[in-house]
Amino acid sequence: MKKYDVIIVGAGIAGMTAAIYAVRGGKEVLVLESRVEGGQIINTTSIENWPGELGISGVGLTRKIKEQAEELGAEFDYAEVKKIEKNANGWTMIGEDDEKFEASVVILAMGTEPRKLSKKQAADAGERAISYCATCDGALYKNRPVVVVGSGNTAKHETAYLKNIASKVYHIHHDDPIPKDAVAVFVAIGRVPSTNFCDGLVELDENGYIIAGEDCRTSEEGIFVSGDCRTKNLRQLVTAAADGAIAGTEAIKYLG
Amino acid sequence: MELLDFYADWCGPCQMLKPTLEEFEEKHPEIKITRVNIDEEEEMTEKYNVSGIPCLVALKNGEEVAREVGVLPLKKIEKLVGVK
Repeated sequence: MKKYDVIIVGAGIAGMTAAIYAVRGGKEVLVLESRVEGGQIINTTSIENWPGELGISGVGLTRKIKEQAEELGAEFDYAEVKKIEKNANGWTMIGEDDEKFEASVVILAMGTEPRKLSKKQAADAGERAISYCATCDGALYKNRPVVVVGSGNTAKHETAYLKNIASKVYHIHHDDPIPKDAVAVFVAIGRVPSTNFCDGLVELDENGYIIAGEDCRTSEEGIFVSGDCRTKNLRQLVTAAADGAIAGTEAIKYLG
Repeated sequence: MELLDFYADWCGPCQMLKPTLEEFEEKHPEIKITRVNIDEEEEMTEKYNVSGIPCLVALKNGEEVAREVGVLPLKKIEKLVGVK
């Protein structure tokens, strides 16, 4: 098995930027992704707050950053990490099919995922379709009744968007019953960090975010964190990239 | 085996899946991929009760044997279809 200097878990903007920094520092780098590069941003059609690229799509930006990381020498592989174990020389990542990856240093960059429906509402929704993205899946429910769950701005936007497509749009809160005639449930009740396998590995805050300051160092030596899954005030593309730069640089320093 | 790929032009994740599907096609030419644009082929989309895109449906002798909603890496598409 090839042993890497650095394995980055998650190929969003934070993870890929960390890869660029670590590989430019002369390290052997693998980015492990469970599904596809880019993370949350691939659903955005036009980005207006990424300096230098007004209106670039999330897919376009993702492709450019991945190409850059690969050209510099970073490797990419695909596996959903289920567990990280300490070994004599560093860390072993274990994937869902028991595949193993080894590295001296780990950078956690899994980002966040949509918060799921409560058990009660999920039972209520039964076999009905559940979506976390109205702009992605709304078109599948033309002239049919749907429901949006959530109280925040995203839920309001999704409701307004779906009103142009569906025959009826119910807008309910996170503990209301799901209307009987709604054929699809659009869930917009916030996001949670994708840190399930990190419990017991590094310190998490009460919401599951990985605790680290601006230096991106976690409670465990040799494990760094970058991007939206870190405790921080502003979760944006540029702050994800900034974290990637810091975590990549810290990893180089740690490795010496 | 056959693979149905339900997509839309405006769907970012579908665009991310496209090069992976092309790679799959090259590696497994024996498996036919049928691309279904959900905006143009509503009947097919309804017939397969597609609830989100991208959606890959694996067919064996015309019968659905597996499906996945969301982008998948090559390895997982191979697993879905049952090839290596």
